[in-house]
Amino acid sequence: MNNLESLQFFIPELFLTAGLLVTIIVELLLKKEQKVFTAYLAATVLLITIFFLIRQYAIEPAALFGGMVVIDPMAVFFKILTAVSTLIIVFFSIPSFRVKAEYYVLLLATTLGMMLMAQVNDLLMIILAMELVGLVSYVLAGYRRSDPKSGEASLKYILFGAASTGIMAFGFSYIYGLTGQTNLFEIQQALQSTQHNPVILFVAFVLIIAGLGYKIAMVPFHFWLPDVYEGAPTPVTAFFSVGPKAAGMAVLIRFIISIVAGVSADGQTFTANAPIHAQELLAVLAVLTMTLGNLSALQQKNIKRMMAYSSIAHAGYMLMALAVFTSQSVEAVMFYLVVYMFMNFGAFWVIHRMTPHLGSEEITAYTGLGYRAPLVAVAMGVFMFSLTGLPPLAGFIGKFYLFAAVIKAEWYILAVLGVLNSVVSLYYYAYVTKVMFLNRGDDESAVSISSYDTALLLVFLIPTLVLGVYWVPVISWATQSLHFFLG
Amino acid sequence: MASFYIALLFLAVGFLLVGLTVLFSRLLHPRINYPEKNLTYECGIIPEGESWIKFNSRFYVIALIFLIFDVEILFLFPWAVVFEELGLLAFVEMFIFIVILLVGLAYVWVKGDLDWIKPRPELAHLPKEKGK
Repeated sequence: MNNLESLQFFIPELFLTAGLLVTIIVELLLKKEQKVFTAYLAATVLLITIFFLIRQYAIEPAALFGGMVVIDPMAVFFKILTAVSTLIIVFFSIPSFRVKAEYYVLLLATTLGMMLMAQVNDLLMIILAMELVGLVSYVLAGYRRSDPKSGEASLKYILFGAASTGIMAFGFSYIYGLTGQTNLFEIQQALQSTQHNPVILFVAFVLIIAGLGYKIAMVPFHFWLPDVYEGAPTPVTAFFSVGPKAAGMAVLIRFIISIVAGVSADGQTFTANAPIHAQELLAVLAVLTMTLGNLSALQQKNIKRMMAYSSIAHAGYMLMALAVFTSQSVEAVMFYLVVYMFMNFGAFWVIHRMTPHLGSEEITAYTGLGYRAPLVAVAMGVFMFSLTGLPPLAGFIGKFYLFAAVIKAEWYILAVLGVLNSVVSLYYYAYVTKVMFLNRGDDESAVSISSYDTALLLVFLIPTLVLGVYWVPVISWATQSLHFFLG
Repeated sequence: MASFYIALLFLAVGFLLVGLTVLFSRLLHPRINYPEKNLTYECGIIPEGESWIKFNSRFYVIALIFLIFDVEILFLFPWAVVFEELGLLAFVEMFIFIVILLVGLAYVWVKGDLDWIKPRPELAHLPKEKGK
């Protein structure tokens, strides 16, 4: 489809771009005390964008802009997911960024990048979309200019980001050199029609996985994550833990279903394009990712660092399901991302709002919180147990689907290792709960929380509870979205 | 190909003129050396200290702004060359492109990044003394 015809299927992105520009102009016109208005404007823009995105489900899968991007239900799913996560983050940030209007512009720009990542169909477009997300993320990580830790986070993020993008681009150059194409589906055809040297393909695959793995925090490309999560402002940390990770997963899924493997005729399983043992490699990396994440989280004293390693472990669980290459596993990952968004945002929201009251981000500072702020502590307990994957919470259903997909594909050892990891993770999640309820601290004064804090807490708490007992709408949404554009 | 000879001629005349001027001044001017003459030229003021100093980070801002508009020009040239064949659509596209850049220009203008001299902000986290 040519550029002009493609525009009609590109309305959400165009609207978001226009909204972004309007937000900048409005920011310039407002006085300092009125600048919180830009946050509401950004939220409105995102809401209308989500409305346009929902309407995109009616569109037949097609390639746009000469094959640069595609539009299919899976892209729409990830676009809605990232837009919703940014919308939540806008409300998450309002208490701490009241006069920083540029912050909301940067959030909108990242959302545009993530929406592009969800629908990439070209090697160049992958780099462009990932860099759009990356460059804005570096600024967001260093947003608290007076805090040296924030600057350190930003610098580490830039260095790792630049290096891994470079490695990924090098891998792309191998693929381009072998096939002479940059369009993912033409590469697929070229790989299926002719036999290529599997060694070179394997090297290219490993190089590209380095770049994509950096985005989703896969071991061994996870080094930036704990420092960035600790140093960045908490709303930004929460933002990084869901939106860009979901977008990274979207790119990885697209990469797997087009270059690494082709979808079989019945659409249920993916058959590898070349004998490069991609599944085995991904499975080993997944086990390494969750084991390292969980074992490192055990020793953390700072709760944000603990959440950072927990986020690495969760990337490992999702990667474990992706490694088996079935449509059921992709569906499980999509469902898990929705669940993960609520429980992870909830945990970060508690950390964010409690840190000023507790005066520290150490886990020991949460001692006796159950007696000082019962609702917050109970909610935190729910998020922690949901992240562990205990029934009857949403995290259990999410993990159940992940493990079910792995077991159905008969990767029993992988599933056993995943379950063992879940057991390990119970220790550090339950430790937070234990500190809050079973210990009593010196300070027993009640912590007062505003109605805004409570309202947003319920926005995270209710889905985490409800999705644990009634998850059918979300899983059927994921099933409906499991419809790819296939060349 | 013939039009390149004109460029070559320009080049030759340019070299010749500059060369002749340098040659004549070398032949004619008196050669007297004194310490002030060997100093670094700083617009006539007596130079202060080394050139290896920290300088204002505003230069980077200016460089960045310059870069943005430099790239804009880079996109405008090929567009201008084939403008007649592309017609109205390309005009609208370029108009949108320039409007987006204008928003950026308005932003740096309002934020005061185009003003050159700014007092040093007194921030609590900056050390009071210079150096360490």
